[in-house]
Amino acid sequence: MMSDIRHSLLRRDALSAAKEVLYHLDIYFSSQLQNAPVPMVEKGPIELLEEFVFQIPRDRGSHNKRLTAMQELQLLEILCNYFQDQTKEAVRQVIFSSLFSPQGNKADEQRMVLLGKLTSMAVAVCRVPVLECAASWLQRTPAVYCVRLAKALVGDYCGLVPGSIQTLKQIFNVSPRFCCQFITAVAALYDMSTEELIPPHDLLEMIVSWIFEDPRLILITFLNTPITANLPIGYLEVSPLMGLVRWCVIAPLAYRRKQKAAGGVPIVEDQNLYSKLHLSVLQGLMVLQTHLTEKSLYGRLALILFEQLVPLVEELGQLCEELNPLNAEQEMELALDRLAQALQVSMATGALLCTRDDLRTLCARLPHNNLMQLVVSGPVQPQPAHPTLTPAYYPHIHTPPLGYPTLPAHAALPAHTALPTHAALPTHAAIPPHTALPAHTALPGHAALPAHATLPAHPALPTHAALPTHPALPGHPVQTFMPGMTFPFRPMR
Amino acid sequence: MISSQPQGVTPQLSPQELSLQIKSFLSGSDPQHGQKLSLRDHARCSLLLLRCLPPARHAVLEHLRSVFHDSVSSFLNERDSQDCLPQTTSSQRRGPPPPPSTPGLDEVTKEVQKVLEEFIKLNPRAWAPLISAWSIELMGQLSSKHANRQGMPHSTSLNELLQLWMSCGATRVLMDIYTLCLSTMIDTCPDACVDALLDTSVQHSPHFDWVVAHIGNSFPSTIISRVLSCGLKDFCSHSSTSETPEKRVPKLGSVVGILGHLSSRHGNSIRQEILRMFHESLRPGNKQQRATLPYLLQLAALSPSLLGTVCQDLVDSLKPSTLAQLQQHCSTLPREELDNMLNLCIHLACQTSTGAPRLLRFLLDTAMPASVITTPGLAVHDSVREACDRIVRLLLLSLQKQVYGRTGGRSASDAPPKVVPFLDAMRGHLPELCAEMLRLERKRHLWLHQLLGLLCIYSSPPCAPEALCLLLTLAHSSEELGLAVQLHAVLSSSIQGLAQAAVARCVAQVHAGALTDKRALQLLQNLALIVQSEEGGMGREIGAALSEYLSDFGQLLLHSNPGVCEAACLLLCCCPLPSTLPPAQLHLLIRSSSFLLFHSMHLRSSAGISSSSRLLTRLCKVSHAGKKAVLHQLVEGALHPGNAGLFGGQGTNQSPQKVEGASASLLENNSYLGSTVDFSGSVWSVFHAGVIGSGLKPEEKNRQSGQVECTENTQSLLSLLCSCCAKKGDEDGHLMTLDPEAAKTLAVTITECACPDVTNSELSWPPEEHARTTVQRDLLIYTCFRRNPLLFQLLHLVAQGRPALCYCSVLLRGLLATLLSHWEASRELTSADSSWHLMASCELVSSMGEGQLLPPALANMHEMFSLLAPYEVRLLLLSVWDFVRENGPFPQRFVFQAAKGIFSRDFTREGDPAKYMGIVHSVLHRNIERLGLLSGRFQV
Repeated sequence: MMSDIRHSLLRRDALSAAKEVLYHLDIYFSSQLQNAPVPMVEKGPIELLEEFVFQIPRDRGSHNKRLTAMQELQLLEILCNYFQDQTKEAVRQVIFSSLFSPQGNKADEQRMVLLGKLTSMAVAVCRVPVLECAASWLQRTPAVYCVRLAKALVGDYCGLVPGSIQTLKQIFNVSPRFCCQFITAVAALYDMSTEELIPPHDLLEMIVSWIFEDPRLILITFLNTPITANLPIGYLEVSPLMGLVRWCVIAPLAYRRKQKAAGGVPIVEDQNLYSKLHLSVLQGLMVLQTHLTEKSLYGRLALILFEQLVPLVEELGQLCEELNPLNAEQEMELALDRLAQALQVSMATGALLCTRDDLRTLCARLPHNNLMQLVVSGPVQPQPAHPTLTPAYYPHIHTPPLGYPTLPAHAALPAHTALPTHAALPTHAAIPPHTALPAHTALPGHAALPAHATLPAHPALPTHAALPTHPALPGHPVQTFMPGMTFPFRPMR
Repeated sequence: MISSQPQGVTPQLSPQELSLQIKSFLSGSDPQHGQKLSLRDHARCSLLLLRCLPPARHAVLEHLRSVFHDSVSSFLNERDSQDCLPQTTSSQRRGPPPPPSTPGLDEVTKEVQKVLEEFIKLNPRAWAPLISAWSIELMGQLSSKHANRQGMPHSTSLNELLQLWMSCGATRVLMDIYTLCLSTMIDTCPDACVDALLDTSVQHSPHFDWVVAHIGNSFPSTIISRVLSCGLKDFCSHSSTSETPEKRVPKLGSVVGILGHLSSRHGNSIRQEILRMFHESLRPGNKQQRATLPYLLQLAALSPSLLGTVCQDLVDSLKPSTLAQLQQHCSTLPREELDNMLNLCIHLACQTSTGAPRLLRFLLDTAMPASVITTPGLAVHDSVREACDRIVRLLLLSLQKQVYGRTGGRSASDAPPKVVPFLDAMRGHLPELCAEMLRLERKRHLWLHQLLGLLCIYSSPPCAPEALCLLLTLAHSSEELGLAVQLHAVLSSSIQGLAQAAVARCVAQVHAGALTDKRALQLLQNLALIVQSEEGGMGREIGAALSEYLSDFGQLLLHSNPGVCEAACLLLCCCPLPSTLPPAQLHLLIRSSSFLLFHSMHLRSSAGISSSSRLLTRLCKVSHAGKKAVLHQLVEGALHPGNAGLFGGQGTNQSPQKVEGASASLLENNSYLGSTVDFSGSVWSVFHAGVIGSGLKPEEKNRQSGQVECTENTQSLLSLLCSCCAKKGDEDGHLMTLDPEAAKTLAVTITECACPDVTNSELSWPPEEHARTTVQRDLLIYTCFRRNPLLFQLLHLVAQGRPALCYCSVLLRGLLATLLSHWEASRELTSADSSWHLMASCELVSSMGEGQLLPPALANMHEMFSLLAPYEVRLLLLSVWDFVRENGPFPQRFVFQAAKGIFSRDFTREGDPAKYMGIVHSVLHRNIERLGLLSGRFQV
């Protein structure tokens, strides 16, 4: 059957062939779906797509018909409309997957280029189905490809056309799931290891505004994904948490390094954004705790793996050594503070499962930091009590240290007290919702950082709805499919 | 539907609006009403998408491409239709052009420009490479597409093309956009923009050149350095994959093309940049630097103009330290590559034209073995010197191949002979080459000699003779002259008539006054030397050639510089004479050489005297007429008033200060007293004592040579005359007998010179009383003898060649007549008191005796003249007169004596001489106390 289609298509010009192959495959997969719940994606359709959509000549005889840029744009529009009009989710997913799943051949290059343009166009014209498909694609595709897609989008919307970032920003309202995956991919792309890999300002601002507006955003994929014991290696993580923590911790030093390379011009404008991001991440962690507790997964599922922390801490140590002669104490202090806070909160919220001994050995090589010292040593705790936890884990949440009010939903809040020590959040205490948080003044670290008063005032934070009252994202029921598998798809909403 | 948003602000469209826009952009029609979009609205729509839909940018640019295509087409159509207008409206062409047929296209392109420029300014890193590539490619397409259109300037007329395209709005916009891209990127990474330029230049080569030229002119330094470095990069990448060299050519070709355009106005920058690259490549570095040298060589090989631009400065910059670096650099290269480079270098050297002399000098200087006088710091390393030595030899070899291969190819006469720029350039420096070669520095002169030979063969018609001529002129020693001979030996086999041409050139040089006296002298000497010493090849040929220019060298005998005259004279002495010498030439030579003789006497130059004597002797033997002419010239010259002083006589100044400052009028001169009517020979003779009003005639002051010189001069003249008159075959025998015929000529000449008036000049003598009718002539003769004591010597000489003295009869008679009247009038006590007359009388009688006009007894009377009183002398002379009158001095009285080979006269057959001895004996008796000793001398 496929060869019949192929023969009929060979006579067409490039664009109409591309159109028709889509048409034929739609029919083909629709009929397959009626017969079997899980359609088999065979080699035939993929080869057809490669030949007629991506213009990879199969044999030498057939000459290479390339699409002009105009035809390509037409094709993109056709694809967009197709995905928009195809009501059957499953067919959509199958088609998208057979179009864009990397096959490890030379068509991948074209595939990625076209996917980038398609996604970019979908962003511009708000084609939700395409974005949802792309979000799924990001989940089940090796990270190297995801990073390329992110790069294409960032290239298109951050800087190329002035003001176009606004367009990308809007999709927060349209497809949060895509946003979440996008953030994960971006965090993987910009790992701050070099000056070029520091996220562009526009992008950073957009991501911060997204997460700040709703910290749950970073958990959407996690919440919509069936729990698996271990993530396959080489794929994107299930949430951008680790990547964002990395951003917040490394940023002060990375910017300092960039400043050194640029010749001493201070680059400060992004630091406020990182402070804001840090806050949002911590808030996100606390939301996570709620979910974990609800699903009684608390202490059994780590979103931040200890193995991931090791390279981060090592890199931090290296950066500190590298920048030590540069009077970067302030930045180092800030980075270590953030790390300490992130560790404390993630441990408290159950995102990180490890012992303090592990932490101690891990952080032994870091420069001295008061807060880190506190976090690593931990409160004196006689016995492990939580039944669900192994004794090795420190269940301080359910047996809070003496002197702390017992607030189950906010059990992690002692960690939050570290926030005021945050360099960029001097006015944090002034934000009404947060004043409700107890033990704010109990921390000695706060007094140790008098320099905060001189920093610019934090932009007024939006009045945050009280965290506990956050809706539990009803539109995203727990899904059952496994991230490594392609099928079956479940509707998102 | 089509929104016309204000520019500069990104319009915020809702997704629905945006998808409608996409639809309308793709379909080209308004999706709501279905009507077709105008070009302008379509373009606006595309600009909107460019702002709102990043992934559509390629499509939008593609669409804009068509917009520009349309705009250019309409512009050109417009232009064509304007050109088609009748001539009457041509004046309106200067006015504003009529509105274009597709309105608003220009406006649209302006809008596009605005939007794109805004993007470029905001984010150059992202947009500039994209847009620059787009605009460049589009310009390339446009140029190629319309290149063959009628009325389009040809791609070679760059300026017209540039003017045309820059007057077109659309292409100007594109050009502006590209320029903006380049200027924003120029500091960070212009490669991105320049790469596109190069690629497009390769693709649309001749038609696209105006773009390159324009941009190159705007950003000369960047474009030049970028173009060079891009070419280098390309060269590296291709050379590593060992591809065939043909594939490498296009990019290099466009590099060469672009630089060629820029070289006219920015040659300096190109030169500096290339030199910079060269020097940088010498530092130890990466692979790219190592490839720089072959790359630059390749580049130069492809572009003669580039080679010319760089060559000179490069040579100047090659200091010993640089050379050492270069040597070190090259020593790391593999042998094969090194050989390739060497061959390329040699090829380039052959192609060098303007810098050729400097290049040659540099190579020779470097290749010369170090000498003691070289400054230690400037001495080059031995290995460098050897390498340079090798280069020189290879260069010569390659030139040789080309030169001889070229002549070999002449048989296929269709193709013009291959040009060797190096030799062409060296042609103008022939004199320097020759001069340098003659310095005879080791090795160097051998190389130069070889080069000279090649150069001569290469440009044979003018060059070879010139070189030979130069060498002949400049050589100072026989060793140096040997180089000329060698050169001739090398060339003579390939060039016909070389010697003739060389001699002709020498002669021309001399005549043109192009040579200083010193040079001319040297040239003549060298020629003579060659003719004398190289009897084999060159001498013979040169001699033969010289014989055609005898008259030219004859003129040189009159040169103002005595050395030159003498050298010319020597040359004429040794150069072979043609078998038949035209009389005109012969006489010219004779006149000139006799002039030279007397001139040398004046200058007291014995060398001149001897050489001119040699020449005259030689000329004398050419023919009978020649002999006559020589004798005539010599006598006439010797008796010339100006020369009289040389021989102890007195010259007459030809009234030099006759009229000061007055204009010489022939009429006036003719009516001048005494010159109108010749009264000579009549009783009306007038003797000037002066001009009334000007006072007496000025005292005759003459250069009186010293006694010794006079004797010497007389001696040389007489011996010359002797050898001229010598009998054939007698020259070598020391006992010379004069040829009677020659002696007769001599006698006649003397007579003519001393007494131009031949009215009564028959040989026979009249009675003594008749002498008073010829007083004036006799006085003239007397004056002549008085002034030229040489005449007596000549008379003696003539007397030797009996019977020639007969022909001097007039002179003898005239002189005797005046002497008689002197002695008659003399009231002195002894004859010795008037010494001159005594001397004259003695000489006269003795010469007549030698000439056998008098019998010996009578002739001996002169021995006692000095002891007598004047009237006695007169008596004796009267008896001489009587004898001669009665026994006339006729040649027929002489008889040839075959035994002795001479003529002689037998007085015994002519009557009794005793009757003439009466007076002699009377006088003897009268003074017997003093003359007794002599009485035996007067016995018949």
